[in-house]
Amino acid sequence: MATIRLTVPGTLRFRSIAVRVVAEAARLVSGSAARDPNDPLDNDVRDPFDTAVVSAFMEIFNNVAIHAYKRKDVGTIQIAITPAEAELVIEIEDHGHPFDIDGVAPLPEELDAESLPEGGMGIHIAKTMLDEVTYEPGPPNLWRLCKRLPATQPDVAREAGRT
Amino acid sequence: MPNPFETKKTPTGTQLFVRGSLDINSAPALAEEIDKIVATKPQKVECDLSGLDLIDSSGVAALVKLYKGVRSAGGAITITGARDQPLAIFKLLRMDKVFNL
Repeated sequence: MATIRLTVPGTLRFRSIAVRVVAEAARLVSGSAARDPNDPLDNDVRDPFDTAVVSAFMEIFNNVAIHAYKRKDVGTIQIAITPAEAELVIEIEDHGHPFDIDGVAPLPEELDAESLPEGGMGIHIAKTMLDEVTYEPGPPNLWRLCKRLPATQPDVAREAGRT
Repeated sequence: MPNPFETKKTPTGTQLFVRGSLDINSAPALAEEIDKIVATKPQKVECDLSGLDLIDSSGVAALVKLYKGVRSAGGAITITGARDQPLAIFKLLRMDKVFNL
């Protein structure tokens, strides 16, 4: 399948547009059906593949808008989405400040009511949800996200989801 | 865009219904509401997530703020109804057991 390219201003105001495009691209690969195909504003994400892709993408978009562009409307985010038979690759490019991905603290080993984190979860979500997350500081800064379908996913089920 | 939450007073506290998408754009408004809820030192807060479709780390942070705030004020909190993507996020972050989801 051809690469889908989308350029949006690098602010959180345009996040939902990008998320909807990514969600639809994820459905192309997973074969899942939208809960209500007639409702383009439906936030429904149920399939595990779609959940992983959308969850990770939301976090990386947040990261770019907040850390690269410092919540200011000073640049764009170029998104290249490449659906394939069994994987989805998303490249996210910005021209803002580089992000120190190695400076992200891991989540606490033991989690209880007192140690619940109130921040620093975004990169952990993206890395855990996806098969690959790479970051090349620039400018331009480039995030590359990849999610593969499980090898055991039956083709029959995927085809059924496409109808 | 309407706020993705609604609150109802009960004899002992507050019911909080969260719906739609709780994310970096909508979480700040919920955080303000949480400050108001916690300031009343409620005995009990019931947070219903059955209408919540999508959540990101900012939304999770808001709910953590609610959880910690209510408990530190001496109240009890229950979080119910998480499903689909939000439940997957809570499980990934290992918060499902803390929140007893």
